[in-house]
Amino acid sequence: MADQLLEQVRDAVDGQIDFEGQKLAEILATAVLAIVGAISFLVGFFLQDIALALKIGLGGTALTFLLVVPPWPLYNKHPVKWLPVGGQPAITSAQQNIVIDEKLFTK
Amino acid sequence: MYNSLTRIQNVFGFFTTVAFVVAALIAASDFAVPRTPSATIKTTNVQVVKGRPHYYSTKKEEYAIIKFSLDADLSSLFTWNTKQLFVYVTAEWPASAANQTNKAVIWDSIITSPSADHLSNLGPASLKKLRKSAAGKSIDPSRGKLSLKNQKPKYQITHPTGKIASTDDVKLHVNYNVQPWVGVLTWSQGFDLGLWKKFAGGVSKAFELPALKTKDGEKTKNPR
Repeated sequence: MADQLLEQVRDAVDGQIDFEGQKLAEILATAVLAIVGAISFLVGFFLQDIALALKIGLGGTALTFLLVVPPWPLYNKHPVKWLPVGGQPAITSAQQNIVIDEKLFTK
Repeated sequence: MYNSLTRIQNVFGFFTTVAFVVAALIAASDFAVPRTPSATIKTTNVQVVKGRPHYYSTKKEEYAIIKFSLDADLSSLFTWNTKQLFVYVTAEWPASAANQTNKAVIWDSIITSPSADHLSNLGPASLKKLRKSAAGKSIDPSRGKLSLKNQKPKYQITHPTGKIASTDDVKLHVNYNVQPWVGVLTWSQGFDLGLWKKFAGGVSKAFELPALKTKDGEKTKNPR
């Protein structure tokens, strides 16, 4: 029971996302941070206000963390298609091989 | 990027890179703004008195008290990247050895930009007054305009030998140090560097430090 609870907590903290989601997350993080950096410099330069530039930069970074770190469903749109258990002949023959070996040993 | 922890690490890593690049751009943007500082300074009262370095000292030294009037326009030094401007007045005179100068600071002042007012060494009432004077602007070039009349020096200067009376060819130099939010520290320069012009004026006429008053009933003073 405690194991199951722990498993759920671990899954939540882990925040796994599928491979397409990982690609999207990386592109998004890079693009948003670069754009935030550019905006913070340009706004600060034209308004001649460095405190504002800092606030925009830090705010944009916080936004990026929020966008990319939690495992949003958007990142799980292409789950990995695992093959079914024990369905393919190749796998069963391998299992049979293992059984035969055991019989040899338990003679 | 397969779990939250690696995503945090990757985003933070790129954030530090972006922050560094933006800071480098901000520091570089300073060179695109012209600097045209100018100042005139002259002495109004020069005295040399005998005194002690501190209350319990047995050493007796001579101290020069140089009062001056200063008019400066350092407003072009204030950009969005300026945190503070440190202005200081030095008294310089040649030393006996070749190519050496005696130099001592007689007065200095920190002028903060409004973006750095919260860092100034003022009490709550003066801080409020300072912030009000900026009137909500993010940079206030008028803080760079100085007009001091018969200013008492902050520091009384002497020579390591303890003797400073009757020195001639002494000149007062005005200097500044721009302390940016990001970037290199820069000082007053004697040459042009692109859009940054050299300090116009800023040196007083040569004057001499007088001899000590003779002891005809004159009491020796401790200059404090």
